[in-house]
Amino acid sequence: MKPGFSPRGGGFGGRGGFGDRGGRGGGRGGFGGGHRHEGVFICRGKEDALVTKNLVPGESVYGEKRVSIAEGDDKIEYRAWNPFRSKLAAAILGGIDQIHIKPGAKVLYLGAASGTTVSHVSDIVGPDGLVYAVEFSHRSGRDLINLAKKRTNIIPVIEDARHPHKYRMLIAMVDVIFADVAQPDQTRIVALNAHTFLRNGGHFVISIKANCIDSTASAEAVFASEVKKMQQENMKPQEQLTLEPYERDHAVVVGVYRPPPKVKN
Amino acid sequence: MLVLFETSVGYAIFKVLNEKKLQEVDSLWKEFETPEKANKIVKLKHFEKFQDTAEALAAFTALMEGKINKQLKKVLKKIVKEAHEPLAVADAKLGGVIKEKLNLSCIHSPVVNELMRGIRSQMDGLIPGVEPREMAAMCLGLAHSLSRYRLKFSADKVDTMIVQAISLLDDLDKELNNYIMRCREWYGWHFPELGKIISDNLTYCKCLQKVGDRKNYASAQLSELLPEEVEAEVKAAAEISMGTEVSEEDICNILHLCTQVIEISEYRTQLYEYLQNRMMAIAPNVTVMVGELVGARLIAHAGSLLNLAKHAASTVQILGAEKALFRALKSRRDTPKYGLIYHASLVGQTSPKHKGKISRMLAAKTVLAIRYDAFGEDSSSAMGVENRAKLEARLRTLEDRGIRKISGTGKALAKAEKYEHKSEVKTYDPSGDSTLPTCSKKRKIEEVDKEDEVIEKKAKKAKIKVKVEEEEEEEVIEEEETSVKKKKKKDKKKHIKEEPLSEEEPCTSTAVPSPEKKKKKKKKKDNED
Repeated sequence: MKPGFSPRGGGFGGRGGFGDRGGRGGGRGGFGGGHRHEGVFICRGKEDALVTKNLVPGESVYGEKRVSIAEGDDKIEYRAWNPFRSKLAAAILGGIDQIHIKPGAKVLYLGAASGTTVSHVSDIVGPDGLVYAVEFSHRSGRDLINLAKKRTNIIPVIEDARHPHKYRMLIAMVDVIFADVAQPDQTRIVALNAHTFLRNGGHFVISIKANCIDSTASAEAVFASEVKKMQQENMKPQEQLTLEPYERDHAVVVGVYRPPPKVKN
Repeated sequence: MLVLFETSVGYAIFKVLNEKKLQEVDSLWKEFETPEKANKIVKLKHFEKFQDTAEALAAFTALMEGKINKQLKKVLKKIVKEAHEPLAVADAKLGGVIKEKLNLSCIHSPVVNELMRGIRSQMDGLIPGVEPREMAAMCLGLAHSLSRYRLKFSADKVDTMIVQAISLLDDLDKELNNYIMRCREWYGWHFPELGKIISDNLTYCKCLQKVGDRKNYASAQLSELLPEEVEAEVKAAAEISMGTEVSEEDICNILHLCTQVIEISEYRTQLYEYLQNRMMAIAPNVTVMVGELVGARLIAHAGSLLNLAKHAASTVQILGAEKALFRALKSRRDTPKYGLIYHASLVGQTSPKHKGKISRMLAAKTVLAIRYDAFGEDSSSAMGVENRAKLEARLRTLEDRGIRKISGTGKALAKAEKYEHKSEVKTYDPSGDSTLPTCSKKRKIEEVDKEDEVIEKKAKKAKIKVKVEEEEEEEVIEEEETSVKKKKKKDKKKHIKEEPLSEEEPCTSTAVPSPEKKKKKKKKKDNED
């Protein structure tokens, strides 16, 4: 058993135990448990928390709690990830199989808002990866730019995601598209961006808010119709997960774009 | 067919080598699987590199607006016109503009999109001579520039300048004070009288700088710095000074310090002007309402103009007096009435009685000005001027005597209600309960004491008489009457006497009537018996 970190005030104490809790556990070493997903960690203590390694130690982006863990000689700082504010964290805690966002990946993030989840994605992909954050609103754009000043792996794009050709000169081919735009035509938006920027065999992670697409239909019907629209655009959904108990009538769909043709033996 | 591909480092024009492959749209991706294969299908014909981010920004802002900038025009004319081939573009609108301006045929189709995809995936391999690191750096710089352009970022609307400038101003003042004190002390060793004659610091230093050693005072010309009499005084004092002699080197050092002081003073005035300019540019309405210094201090205290705009008016009123505020809140006393806003000219020119009122009114109008400056699009100060005029009018009515009410009909005379200290503890006063005219409610302590004595005496007499006769009441009353004549306040006594006769109503007042009551009851019992 790996000797855990020394207990600190604030409830983050405990030995490192890789408890098998519903799919978490095993995987990389880390205090209290590295998560199955690379780049994501769990902090065990009075309350368990999902954390990511802080790319800019000493700074809090939106006032979240930070934890410093001594690992050998130096201290590593982790930032807590709130699943009630971030759909990606809610999906991870809900037990999604693959998020495809890993260290070194290039991510196109549509609907970046003020950059709270973008900062965590930036932590996960690390200094080798890149996050292209697209946000149309000017107010949120200002906060996003300030965030991008501190983290050099975030590239801010203040443009409408409906017209990917407007920012075509800024973005190279990406591995993952994460979309949290909350628009009724969001599948078309993601499809346009995928056709322009997503490499073959790349993945997409889309957060669907049923109320936003069609407030009269039931949530399951909305999710099913969205999945159908995706299939028509050469995007193959692989898994779907609702975000209970963090959000109501929300779902996350993960899929692959233009999968390489299966070699039949 | 030629392909126009825009990157963050420059324009790239490719030539499609094998046009037949373009027919199979769906399998086009196979051609771009590796760099070698990609190089077989498209070849880089020309690469127009941007010299720096500014050039790139200009190019792409033109592109966004649907115009072709000079550089692109040149490239297209040179390369494409000569080749007489159609040009594939990623944006249909751009294609239209190019056709219009340069009369070149442009293509935009799903095939073109696939082609673009392929080129993008193999961008590194297809464009030699551009390092990936350079590309990444250019990309980041261009993204930031474009975003700033989108947000209409104007460099003179940055409030960080104000925050830094006001902090520097405070630092400079402190340092300047230290240096001047040091200078005076040091030179005072040599010529102490000068310090007492010249009280202004800057004049002192300038004088010192001009003259230096005491011996030179007689021959020095100080007429520009000092008035006639003072100059004469200085020269006289220099003759008979009691300070010691100092060497050249020492004077040299003191002069150095003096020069420094003068320089810093000049810089301070310059910085103050700069601060005034910036405040007028960034927050004109606030400047009009409270002045530059107070406005700058408010912004610096809150951190930024946006942060300040988020505060309520009551917060802005006591910003700067947090220590006093929380101390008063904790000990349940009165909170402070003003913070930084105390130094505004409007508050300064009122009488102390009305400073609190004015400070509240000023804070209310100032937050409107702050929000207008922080979120408004235009930068005029008309709103601030209007509000200030309103406030000044109110101030005048407040100061005048016999003022009319501000709100309401306007004819009633303003009446200031007595302010009740909020932490005053009020207890229940039961004297207001019964409305019946029982024993008098307000009785003074001396009266009470005297009455007690009298009643006791009567009680004793009454006891004696009870045994003897009937109609003791009357006798007692009579006796009371006789003894009462000595008393000053007969009315009250009579009142009390009458009452025990008439009713047995319990008196609501204090214990004073109770001996009478007891007396009465005893008698009644006796009567009944």
